[in-house]
Amino acid sequence: MVLRAFVSPVILISLAVLVIAATLPLYVSGYVLGLLTIAYYFGVFSMAWDLLFGFANEVNFGPTFLIGLGAYTAGILDSLYQPPIALSVAAGVLAAMIGGLVLALPALRVRGPYFGLTTLVAVLILQNFVVVAASLTGGEIGLTIPDVISISDKVNYWIALGFMGVSGAILFGLTRSPVGLILQASGQDPVQAGALGFNVTKHKLAAFLVSAFFSGLAGALMAFYLGAASVGTFIDVTVGVQVIIGAVLGGRRTILGAVLGAVFLVALGETLRPLGDLATFIVSAVALVVVLFFPAGLLGMVKGARAAT
Amino acid sequence: MTPHKTGAAGSAVLRGALGAASAVLALSLAQAASAADQAPIKIGVIAEAQAVAGSSIPQAAEIAADEINAKGGIDGRKIEIVSYDDHSSSAEAVRAFQRAVNEDHVNAVIASYISEVVLALEPWSGRLKTVMITPGAASDVITQNIAKNYARDKYTFHGYLTSSALSGLVCDGAKDMLVDGLKMKTAVIMSEDAAWTTPLDAGYEVCLPKIGLKVLDHIRFSPDTTDFTPIFNKIEGEKPDVIITGISHVGTQPTVQWKSQQVPIPMFGISSQATNSTFWKDTNGATEGVIYQAVSGPGVAVTPKTLPFVAAFQKKYGNLPSYCGYTAYDDVYIIADAIKRAGSLDADKLVDAMEKTDYVSTIGRIEFLPKGDPHVHGLKTGKGFITGLMLQWQNGKQVNMWPAALANGKLEFPSFIKIASGK
Amino acid sequence: MQFGQILIDGFAISSLYALGATGFTLIFGVTGVLNLSHGAIMVAAAVAAWAASGNFGAGAYLAAAFGVVIALLLALLTYYLIVRRLQLSRAVREEEKEIFILTATLLWGIMIQEAIAYLFTNNAKTVLPIVDGVVTILGVRTPANEIFTAFVCWATIGGLWLFVNHTLAGKAVLAASMNPRGVTLLGIELKTVYVGVWAIYGALAGVAGVLLGMFLGVSSYSAGPLTASAFSIVVLGGLGSVSGSLIAAYVVGYLETLTAYLISPAYRSIPALLLLVAVMYVRPRGLMGRR
Repeated sequence: MVLRAFVSPVILISLAVLVIAATLPLYVSGYVLGLLTIAYYFGVFSMAWDLLFGFANEVNFGPTFLIGLGAYTAGILDSLYQPPIALSVAAGVLAAMIGGLVLALPALRVRGPYFGLTTLVAVLILQNFVVVAASLTGGEIGLTIPDVISISDKVNYWIALGFMGVSGAILFGLTRSPVGLILQASGQDPVQAGALGFNVTKHKLAAFLVSAFFSGLAGALMAFYLGAASVGTFIDVTVGVQVIIGAVLGGRRTILGAVLGAVFLVALGETLRPLGDLATFIVSAVALVVVLFFPAGLLGMVKGARAAT
Repeated sequence: MTPHKTGAAGSAVLRGALGAASAVLALSLAQAASAADQAPIKIGVIAEAQAVAGSSIPQAAEIAADEINAKGGIDGRKIEIVSYDDHSSSAEAVRAFQRAVNEDHVNAVIASYISEVVLALEPWSGRLKTVMITPGAASDVITQNIAKNYARDKYTFHGYLTSSALSGLVCDGAKDMLVDGLKMKTAVIMSEDAAWTTPLDAGYEVCLPKIGLKVLDHIRFSPDTTDFTPIFNKIEGEKPDVIITGISHVGTQPTVQWKSQQVPIPMFGISSQATNSTFWKDTNGATEGVIYQAVSGPGVAVTPKTLPFVAAFQKKYGNLPSYCGYTAYDDVYIIADAIKRAGSLDADKLVDAMEKTDYVSTIGRIEFLPKGDPHVHGLKTGKGFITGLMLQWQNGKQVNMWPAALANGKLEFPSFIKIASGK
Repeated sequence: MQFGQILIDGFAISSLYALGATGFTLIFGVTGVLNLSHGAIMVAAAVAAWAASGNFGAGAYLAAAFGVVIALLLALLTYYLIVRRLQLSRAVREEEKEIFILTATLLWGIMIQEAIAYLFTNNAKTVLPIVDGVVTILGVRTPANEIFTAFVCWATIGGLWLFVNHTLAGKAVLAASMNPRGVTLLGIELKTVYVGVWAIYGALAGVAGVLLGMFLGVSSYSAGPLTASAFSIVVLGGLGSVSGSLIAAYVVGYLETLTAYLISPAYRSIPALLLLVAVMYVRPRGLMGRR
């Protein structure tokens, strides 16, 4: 059943787009490459979020809790001891997964708005910690990370693209797998799923951990790309909102749509950059319009059309 | 998944994907086109355009560029200012710097008034070999880094006073005004916990006792503090004659709360926001009596260039420039002057030319400390170079108190202040 | 001496928290909406009041009233543009509506915050105080403004209590929070009740915002922390329980004040956050929560 899913037109088109994207560094400026690199990492953030929301039906208002844990753990480790980058990244992923576990325990015991609030509180706690422990974390203005993976635009771009492609494949495959179907069922009707004998909580916890893994990994990698980490880039609620909107814009429950949404948002934000603060206003307004009038998102609309025919 | 169903959906997705791809291509082509024109000399300005202080930086730079271009530019070439808003974030500033050098091909950069941002940019100035000067940051580490690694960091210049220099100038003013003038004996240092205040406070701790003010306590608070009541209560309990300040990120809130609590102790020292002409309105007049250090003040002709610049700024933008507006204006001239003397845009030649700068700016005579000095590429301070001013807010106006030669008023305090002895 | 300071300071701050939290919990209790633009509306009220006196020379009372009106308008806009639109939307499934409303109000809050920063810069602003000078209580020299703040907060809360318990309209609101369908059976238009509640909420948030502006000052950056603080208190007290929110507001307010005075102002918000975490783990319903 999984293999069948991989041959669908959506997949084939995605593969084609990936191939085209891989050729971009040959003729596109470093500025656009840098922009897309960030967009791809945000794509992974959004895909990881979509797994949790779209399938487990849990709104994680603090994806940046996991992302921030990954980025800052990797960054602090590097600034203190300069171990091999892979080690710092691994530490970041581990921290994010532990964080995910710690967050999931209370969060999964509650429903609805309480879950969202719990995740939001987690972000606040992390933010407060970063600001208070400024000597370790660089505080509000940021942490400078001595090592970067590469200073070449092209290499960084390919790393991000490859990472996004692989993550997308894994996440998408997961959602079409038996585990994914159980998640989807338990998300839409937990009572029935429970009645059918599935351990809903255990599966949601697994989803949480998978989401944490990819969020932390993407966060750590992006930190090593920027060579810096700050509350404003990795933890702030507005970043979390961008992640969520990217997934919703692209179409929730599609995983792949998240990438479309993320790229669109980053491109929009950059195009509006000359307007300063008005840019954030406009991006938020566009996102609001989508939420209000096109809740199915870009890819969701397509799928809807498909279902209708 | 029958063939005819996939056709309709498949083409929709295909159209979507092609659309995205062509958008990306269009974006990159547009970038390539704009980078083609290189005739003007480009100076990148990375600043915090939304902050009251930072907004003056690009604005003042434009005025300088317009003036230079009106006189024919540099050897016939016009100056073009390319602005970037870093939203007070180091990460954004770094990206802006990379864009400025790699995409927009600027020849020099004027960057920020926030120390942490400048420190994040410093290694990039070295990596990308582009001259960078800051019009407003105060951290000593900026110049210390250049001293430590001259070969890499020599491209950075510190166009403002270092924290340790600032503390020295505040002490100079305090000696004349508070110790000699008001016979004060004790002080409490109150500053925000930030990179720039660490050397400032260290400087205060050393120079205040030397001028005769005993330091009773030293309070550092988090920059995102909103409730200063406990802090003022603590200070009041220690009964100092004066509060010596080191604040920049905060300003409105502590000042307003100082007045509404009627803390009977005057505030004297560094308060960046107090230098803004809008501060009276921002605090609803609570800043009456606050004495603050600045490199400029309304109506104070520090040099013959000061007042004409202010007039030009006010004419174009309607308000007075912030402190880093003066220095940003000067920095454009300093860079232009260096380019002219170097006869080239080569970064290393520019560095040599900048080091030989001897220029009368709006805030005093500019000369950079030479290689070998622990604060290499910082400004020379003291009599004959940069001394700064001490001003006091009185009835909606910023009145200069010190140095005596440039003073245009006398010290006055609100009724709730109790001056220890003397006065 | 310090005990007196802590007592008075803590009381003023807690009263402000209580007013803000009451509005937040009222909206949730009656309409089921967690309005994440709460902090932004408060800041908008304060900045509007500041602009009225600074830019247009309005007196303190007029400026404060203007601020409250702005908050009222924003609250009603929030209801009509966002909440009502999503509640009636057919494109969103019933179970997902809550989440969409949460996300939409969060976005709306960001929009308001950015608009304020764009129009007025992100610099802190203070509102012209209605009451000036200091008074001495328990040997502590206190700004009269603080007393005024606490008084107005309690007067407003008292007014709300009177309204809910002693007027027909108020009782309809209370009934709607317990059983919306039941209320419609009594012939009361649910929509009218909702509009009324949002208007009351707007007024509450507006008063809280203006008072905060007079007491401590606000900036566009305050919006997020204000929302966070309001819902932390509301969660602690129990979502939907007004009395729970009031108690929690004083717990949090005094915890913060004690920390600021006795330990250090830098760690002010930590104990309250830790308490929130503990509550989340042990009793997610909060002190007096119903659901």
